[in-house]
Amino acid sequence: MRNTTTGWLLIAPTLFILFITGMVPFLYVLAVGFLDWNTFAANPEPRFAGVENFRALVFDAAFLKSLWLTFKFTVFVLASQLLVGFFLAKMLMRNVPLKGLFRTIHTLPLMIAPIAVGATWRLMTVPGLGPIPHWMQQWFDISYVLSRFPDQAFATVVIMDIWHWTPLVTLTLMAGLSNLPEEPLEQARIDGAGEWRIFWDITLPFLKPVLLTTIFIRLMDALRTVDEVWMLTGGGPGAETRFIGLHIWRVVFPKTDYGYGAAMSLITLYLTIVMCWLLYVAMTGMKEKSR
Amino acid sequence: MLKLLLASSAIALALTAPARADFWSDAGAKLQGVTIRGVSESTPPSNYVRDVLAPQFTAATGIKVEFETTSWDQMFDKAIKDMEAGSGIYDFVYIEQDIIYSYLARDFLVNISDALEADPSLQAPEFKIEEFTTFIDNFRGENGDIFGVPMEAFIKVYLYRKDLFEDPAHKEAFKAKYGYNLAPATTFAQWRDNAEYFANLDPNDELWGTTVQASSGHPASFYEFFESIAPTYGVYDWGIDMAKGAATVEKGGRMNSPEAKEALAFWVGLLDLAPPEATASTWDEVASTFAAGRAAQGWVYGENAAWVATNPEKSTVVGKVGVALPPMNEGVMAAAEAGEGYIGYYDGGAFGIPHSSKNKEAALLWLQYIGQPSVQADWAVAGSRVVHQATFDAPKVMEVDAKADGYFTMMKEQGHLFKGAPEFPFHAQVREVVAPFIYEAIVGTMTPEEALDKAAVAAEAEMAKLGYGGN
Amino acid sequence: MNRGILYSRLLTFLFWIAMSALTLLPVWWMFLVSVRTRADLFGKPSFLLDVQAMTWENYAAVLSNPTFQKYMTNSLIVATSNAVLVSVLALLAAYAMSRFALVGKDNLFFWVLTNRMAPPAVFLLPLFLMFTGLRLGDWSLFDTRIGLILLYCVFNLPFAFWLLQGIVDAIPKELDEAAYVDGASTFTVLTTVIFPLARPGLAVTGILTWVFAWNEYLFASTLTSVEARTITTGLAEFVTVTGTNWGQLAAVAMLTLAPAALVLALVQRHIVAGLTFGAVKG
Repeated sequence: MRNTTTGWLLIAPTLFILFITGMVPFLYVLAVGFLDWNTFAANPEPRFAGVENFRALVFDAAFLKSLWLTFKFTVFVLASQLLVGFFLAKMLMRNVPLKGLFRTIHTLPLMIAPIAVGATWRLMTVPGLGPIPHWMQQWFDISYVLSRFPDQAFATVVIMDIWHWTPLVTLTLMAGLSNLPEEPLEQARIDGAGEWRIFWDITLPFLKPVLLTTIFIRLMDALRTVDEVWMLTGGGPGAETRFIGLHIWRVVFPKTDYGYGAAMSLITLYLTIVMCWLLYVAMTGMKEKSR
Repeated sequence: MLKLLLASSAIALALTAPARADFWSDAGAKLQGVTIRGVSESTPPSNYVRDVLAPQFTAATGIKVEFETTSWDQMFDKAIKDMEAGSGIYDFVYIEQDIIYSYLARDFLVNISDALEADPSLQAPEFKIEEFTTFIDNFRGENGDIFGVPMEAFIKVYLYRKDLFEDPAHKEAFKAKYGYNLAPATTFAQWRDNAEYFANLDPNDELWGTTVQASSGHPASFYEFFESIAPTYGVYDWGIDMAKGAATVEKGGRMNSPEAKEALAFWVGLLDLAPPEATASTWDEVASTFAAGRAAQGWVYGENAAWVATNPEKSTVVGKVGVALPPMNEGVMAAAEAGEGYIGYYDGGAFGIPHSSKNKEAALLWLQYIGQPSVQADWAVAGSRVVHQATFDAPKVMEVDAKADGYFTMMKEQGHLFKGAPEFPFHAQVREVVAPFIYEAIVGTMTPEEALDKAAVAAEAEMAKLGYGGN
Repeated sequence: MNRGILYSRLLTFLFWIAMSALTLLPVWWMFLVSVRTRADLFGKPSFLLDVQAMTWENYAAVLSNPTFQKYMTNSLIVATSNAVLVSVLALLAAYAMSRFALVGKDNLFFWVLTNRMAPPAVFLLPLFLMFTGLRLGDWSLFDTRIGLILLYCVFNLPFAFWLLQGIVDAIPKELDEAAYVDGASTFTVLTTVIFPLARPGLAVTGILTWVFAWNEYLFASTLTSVEARTITTGLAEFVTVTGTNWGQLAAVAMLTLAPAALVLALVQRHIVAGLTFGAVKG
């Protein structure tokens, strides 16, 4: 057997770069979260603050609001994308001419830079310029002004995200569905089971791993959404679409509140991990029950 | 076209003025091939610098100028990052009058007075500090030394559609409806009546009653409220007493005082009479809105007053613009004249040199170049900004003054009633904390009263956190 | 019976035509905005392309602007360099993991996952301080292309590693063994045995990492200022500049999404694997 040193040498550059660009910053943030540090404060030097930042965060209305908005957004987006994605997956698996072309077109939004996705939708929604405000006025007599109406802004952000990310769900579910074993389905049909039972008892359990992966990926990405929302609404009106990724970014940079921003990041990361873990337990729990 | 004309005449002037060229080309001789880089906001005055003054300077000295004009937020973001990191990317940066205190507190900038004293060979003969208006005092440090050379200054004024206000048909209809004569507003109720009248003329027309700089996600709305509206209600310096670290009435501030609440309620209430883009409007959009003839009146920054009133390529209301003092509460004018208050915003900025700059001599020459008397008049015509006392009397400027309904005259004679931003080193930090409440008032998720109450508390908390909590 | 199937197929076909139109609508709109003059922009929005009134002035203005040329060049250089760097390093790492009994595979996965979970702002501050603080004389990583190229490894390297792992694992160890028996060095084995067989996978990895690097915004906007600014940052900067020039904004956005659209057909099959850590094969 060859010297494992060679192996380590081969993997060393990778580990080194990841350590410097990933691990070190993370450890740094871990430390800064315990400091009181704002470069524009009367005392611009960092000072040890213990858990002061974390304690303040619990009562920080803006932070809590941002978390809540992000959570709301994630739920809406995940649910819609799963439903729409599933539907589209089934539709795309049918025998239809030009299937390849349709699939390619459907995948396009996935590849577009998120900031460009935001720009695209911004152009659709500018009053006086975009088609959406125009149609809303003409067909529904609704005044569509993203900078004024929080519900409209939130809804538009959700729709934009659906446009952007549903293809991922569609494609992953297609992969899962196309790997379904034929026999159990055949058997169930012969036995006279209804479509819904078949779906719930057979299809769903088999799709579980794929579903789990998809939900996790989408969950993590939805919680981190920044670019496209920034471009479309700037977090507005006010802070009504200021999701947590955006909020932390704006606290750290224009406000230069480094210690506080770091603490915020850590709490958010912790919450994300907890959410993912809970989801994991819930879904694998379901799997157990359905047996 | 105008730009081309100005640029070519400016270059011609530079090339045919031997006395000046001597100093500049001599001073530039040692610095041949140097490139200095700067960043500023993309506004008419800065664009003039980029398009006209920079090439002129290069022709005179051989020093190249790379002048980046970008959005307001980006400009600050990049400048501050550069100075904080000491990365030396910029040799000169735009210093707005409101951020100078923060910059001085952080010791970001080169002391220009000292630098010129230390090396007299860099002192341009034409550059004289005494010739600047008092605006330059904003950029002095504790010992009176200069840390920035003013490049623009203007007041935020009341613009109104003269043609509409003087139209007999409108005058009659207004009198019939409201019982008094149609005229530029001197009280807030009158402003509202005016706005209401013009907004309701015809539901399908593209004319609304007033501009409102109410961007629901950009600090521009915060600024219009605290810099222009609140002072006319008698609430100065954001309602903050820095010595006490107070913003709430309880502690001795005025941010949530009854006057402030009235002001916010009035201002937010105007949104119904403003064009739809109001909630997405920063100062640029407000100017565009007015220039497109979509508002009968508005509070507009002076840097836009000239082009809105005179440039047919960009404005549809040329020749129709009236300029007036903003409406105000009783006693505010008297207080302003007595020097105890002010009636609006005196805005402007300077160029300064970061300590981290690698080409300080070249930058120093550049700053003096744009600070010379000879470039001021044309620059004032292009960007409606005045920083030299003599500029007001230049014939070209007086010509534009006539076309702009006396804007420059107002700035000259009543400019002292206006004031710049308060001297807060925590300007951006407190703004970031207060602005969200203004946004909520705009969007309607909070009443103006609630918004100011919460804003004041938040402002105090932030000041205390930063170490400016007073006693 | 036949008619039923035909009918169903027709419906599905029409459905997908409609879906495709819906998907492309925003992009088409952006294209329209990019080829209209300022005057034509406002007023009643139309989805029809008026070929007569079409203008390329927005693209011309953008492409001839030296600042944007710089942004595009930077994006190209950063994306390409990073893709190459990451593909090479990941191939070496994948080979190492596959052929040598190294520990810590699960640790790597967990850490990669955390990376994906953390809000991006978590890394921004320390990276900013690191980039501006670590200096060699006058020079620091701030506002440099190399800074970005190294930084983008943080999300591209693990991803490339996971993609390539499966591919390298699939190459039979016997082939290496045979080469080693013949006296080849590790380097030779890598270049003559592994690389050719992994080429298609490498191509996919390279393209996907390229797209991800090209698309990145937050790090680029925080850690660059003037010299190393990328096109995504340029796009965002546009929004608040005086009197937003929508036509040019649209042109820049089109240019930003062009490369992705171009390679779409090539990697479409693999993109799912890419975005799900290879857990799901497209």
